[in-house]
Amino acid sequence: MVAPSAKSDISGNSAKQLLNQLARAEQRRFRLAVVSGLFAGALTWLQMGLFAWCVTALLVNSQPLSQLTPLFVLWFLILPLRGLLTYVQETLSQRASLAIRKRLRQRLLHHMIALGPVRLSGYHSASLSYQLVEQVEALDGYFARFRVQLWLAALLPLGVFVITLRQDWLAALFLALAAPMIPLFMALVGMGAERLNRDQFAAVARLSGHFIDRVRSLTTLQLFGQTAQARASVWAASEGYRTRSMRTLRLAFLSSAVLEFFAAVAIAVVAIYIGFGLLGYIDYGPSDELTLFSGLFILLLAPEFFQPLRSLAQHYHDRAAALGAADSLVNLLAESPPTTRTDHAPAVAPQAPSTLVALQNANVAHPARGVVLGPVTLSLSRGETVILTGASGSGKSTLLQLLAGFVDPGKGKRLIAEDFRFAWMDQRPLLIQGTLTENLRLAAPNASDEALHQALAQAELRDLVSSLPHGIETSISERGVGLSGGQAQRLALARVFLSQAPLVLLDEPTASLDEHTERAVMQGLETLKREGRTLVIATHHPALKALADRHWHIENGELYSAQGQEVRDDPA
Amino acid sequence: MTPPDTLFATLRPWLSALAKRRARLWLGALLMALTLLSALGLLAVSGWFITATGITGLLLAAGVAASLEVYVPGGAIRFFAVSRTVTRYVERVYNHDTVLRLLADLRTQLFGVLAGLDSRTLAKRRASDWLNRLTADIDTLDSLYLRLLAPPAVALVAILLLSGGVAIFVPQAGALLAAVLLLGWLWLTLGQARLGMAASERHVHQLEALRSRTIEQLQGLAELEAYGSLADHRARLDEIEIRLQHDQRTLGRLSALGNALQGWLVSAATLMTLWFAAQAWQAGAISGPVMVMLPMAVLAMNEALGALPASFTWLGATKGAAARLNQLNDQQMPVNAEATQPVSSAQTLTLENVSVHYPGSLQPALESLSLTLNPGERLAVTGASGAGKSTLAALVSRQLYPTAGHITLGGVPLEQWPNDTLRQRVAVLTQQTELLDDSLAANLRLAAPDADDTALWQVLNNVDLGEWANTLPQGLNTRVGEGGRQLSGGQARRVALARLFLRNPDLVLLDEPFAGVDELTAQHLSNFLDAWLAGRSVIYLVHGLNVNAPMPPRITHTLALTG
Repeated sequence: MVAPSAKSDISGNSAKQLLNQLARAEQRRFRLAVVSGLFAGALTWLQMGLFAWCVTALLVNSQPLSQLTPLFVLWFLILPLRGLLTYVQETLSQRASLAIRKRLRQRLLHHMIALGPVRLSGYHSASLSYQLVEQVEALDGYFARFRVQLWLAALLPLGVFVITLRQDWLAALFLALAAPMIPLFMALVGMGAERLNRDQFAAVARLSGHFIDRVRSLTTLQLFGQTAQARASVWAASEGYRTRSMRTLRLAFLSSAVLEFFAAVAIAVVAIYIGFGLLGYIDYGPSDELTLFSGLFILLLAPEFFQPLRSLAQHYHDRAAALGAADSLVNLLAESPPTTRTDHAPAVAPQAPSTLVALQNANVAHPARGVVLGPVTLSLSRGETVILTGASGSGKSTLLQLLAGFVDPGKGKRLIAEDFRFAWMDQRPLLIQGTLTENLRLAAPNASDEALHQALAQAELRDLVSSLPHGIETSISERGVGLSGGQAQRLALARVFLSQAPLVLLDEPTASLDEHTERAVMQGLETLKREGRTLVIATHHPALKALADRHWHIENGELYSAQGQEVRDDPA
Repeated sequence: MTPPDTLFATLRPWLSALAKRRARLWLGALLMALTLLSALGLLAVSGWFITATGITGLLLAAGVAASLEVYVPGGAIRFFAVSRTVTRYVERVYNHDTVLRLLADLRTQLFGVLAGLDSRTLAKRRASDWLNRLTADIDTLDSLYLRLLAPPAVALVAILLLSGGVAIFVPQAGALLAAVLLLGWLWLTLGQARLGMAASERHVHQLEALRSRTIEQLQGLAELEAYGSLADHRARLDEIEIRLQHDQRTLGRLSALGNALQGWLVSAATLMTLWFAAQAWQAGAISGPVMVMLPMAVLAMNEALGALPASFTWLGATKGAAARLNQLNDQQMPVNAEATQPVSSAQTLTLENVSVHYPGSLQPALESLSLTLNPGERLAVTGASGAGKSTLAALVSRQLYPTAGHITLGGVPLEQWPNDTLRQRVAVLTQQTELLDDSLAANLRLAAPDADDTALWQVLNNVDLGEWANTLPQGLNTRVGEGGRQLSGGQARRVALARLFLRNPDLVLLDEPFAGVDELTAQHLSNFLDAWLAGRSVIYLVHGLNVNAPMPPRITHTLALTG
């Protein structure tokens, strides 16, 4: 989930920077949304004015209602306009939010792909997809509501103040007196919301953790007949959480209650002041100029002074949520991808035309572990089968990744032939949600059905496929329907057959397979060799050695031939 | 069989769960109503007061002897100003407390449901994203009351009270107001819900589809890149995002429309009330201040209706959450009537043509398996992963029922064993070590809640962990971390074994007992295990009979499963 990062100012700033940078691209929509919101506010004021006007016309000027009909009609016609403006405001900021999220998601995905399979393996793919999906979604409230509301909360009260000032400066003063309190309350509310968010998030995570932990162990709890006790413990944990978070909530709600209290008091004071002023009980200030119109108008406007702020307070948690999400996204975006993957190093033809790929003094270093492989100099000719051995963790996979171009060759070079293409197979073959056909066509989008069937036969999957209800069009990896590990491995092998790539890189292709599948994979590899493909097989399996033309062995990050000599460009 | 998926049928189990806290819910709604009435009162009385003072002021200025009692309305304004704040605060605190109580109720209830799932369903559900969604679904339901039940109910009451109040002064206006506001209320709740239902119900699934395609893209990056099909797969991802955003846009528009309509509705109702009140005033039926008071009270309805459109547009999300959780109810393991006959020993086991075939699965998990285990025998069942070893363990421990065939334990059909007795007589070491994020002692006491510390130290010594535990500053109270992550794989395995030794079963199933344990320790464990297993019947589940790997002690015969 969210990594509990130490919240330094720098990361806080860059989270804000990221949000601002994202918003900049949608500047136009945001501006238009603010303008719509302002006009909608102004129309509200106009309605209040009309209300006061009609009442004055009736009660003070004794105009008959029939004379006021046009005014009522006009008023009635304004109403949909205000609705339209609020609609425009909401949909514009929502569209801005959609566009921003889409753009950000593209950017993140692009970045992740640029990081490449090796760098990504340092992350949990579930947490990456959480960042790409949930955390991007978490920005919605901030862009769709908070950002525009922030502007409205600054500008609309100002408008109310100016109008009130023109009617009665003392009433305006009452509002203005409440105004300096507002930043204070906003800070209070803000702090409350932020603390609330932080504390709640941690507490919720703990509680969910407790729950998930018990669910995960349910099999064991069932076996020991302990489910009733565990159930009681789930209840106790939830109750404990309730007692603790109520303590926080009481305080947090208090800060917004204070804001509301001052708003209510300010309105009440204005109402009473106007009332007494109209009665002539007040001898000072502008109160003798108060009329029923100005009095009513001010009274109706006073709540509008506080309303935008109240809305903002409601959306404050959107901001906190967005900052939290942006914080973790900034960290991901800060990681720079390997240069070979971004520069698209031009294919330099190796010296000999028979050479498919060559490494010159290539080495791979990890920031934490230092040099893990190299320097390695080797060249791989077309049609060769090479077996690659070494203890686990010695760097076999790294060498394959280096040949594939997933990692930088460091200070060295990687040279590839112009027609260099490769197929890849490791212990965890990719299964996408979809039919067998779709899974096969990943390797060759335009392959004919005949080619698909042939590849399945070569991977010894034909019997299985013919037993399936929809044959090759059966959906796999849906809930309840799945391939076993061995079947998935054979599917990956079928993809290798289908791909026609001259180089095939295989990382432990037979590990943890049952005997039947193991045999099928080995026969498949033989067929590939007969087809004239170049194979590099990292393996522990002794039987695979029989296939090999050459044998590479890695020890302590250095590459040796089977005889114990360092591997040269040209093998003896 | 598809369960009825009408809105009410889907939500009913959850509504009845909420109903257990009926008193709190009513009180919470009452507090909401009081908050609303305070806001309404504040606006109405202020309007009345200012108009009254304005008219009186004019009369005074014209030299007419007029007077106005100002202290009661002035006091009322101050009262409403304070009561609005106070009731709002109390309401928020009280209702959030209620929501948290509901959360505890619902989680506990759900846990009970999950505890009744069979091992196959549980194994499929182990993935953490499913668990996260489960908790998110519960959170959606615990706020059902605060978003979807109380606010519309309070708004409805407010509409009726307000219309009634207006009708006292101007009957015609009251009747019309009730009609307009009720129609509006229907639209803002049911109408919005209907329009947004499909899209909001789909939303979770689309997010999930996006997530799983993303995981595919990231996990399969090497292969996708090798085959040059990154762009193709990316197109699949984009397609989902387009659909997701399309729905989000629809829902956003709908909720904006609802909000705009809500604003229009209250303004139009205010205007209408003013018109009729003005007529009544002209006719001399009401005073001027009352004429102002009535529309101002209507204006306060903004507060009652404001939150409805957004909540109801997303009703489908709540329905979806409830439907998903309801599904779990349908997957409950059948609970058989308890056995009446006394059962003495569980040392013999027979399986007769037992098959397990999961619906929709490509191949049977187990086909026509027959075996007999006599007292004291130790059977080793071998097979590759997926051959059905874990299925066999689940069958014998009755965490799964066979699709066909019969199982007897101690001569009694397995399904007739009382659950408690079965758990005492049959012990299983599962392939996956499951440790709670709790102390070492708590994890051991799962097997024997009443065991004293001496017993715990004893079994830890039996698995060679006593010395290690002694060096821990917190000893038995050391927490093992999430999933036992603070321990090494081998240590966790040994804790699981130690846990088993606290029990006294007749039949023991051990699934790869020494997985992750180094050879030397395994040898030592094997000796103790051998002694402990004496007099019990045993089934070992192992990958293969490999001379290199440490073997469990004294296998009497073997059975190979082929997948």
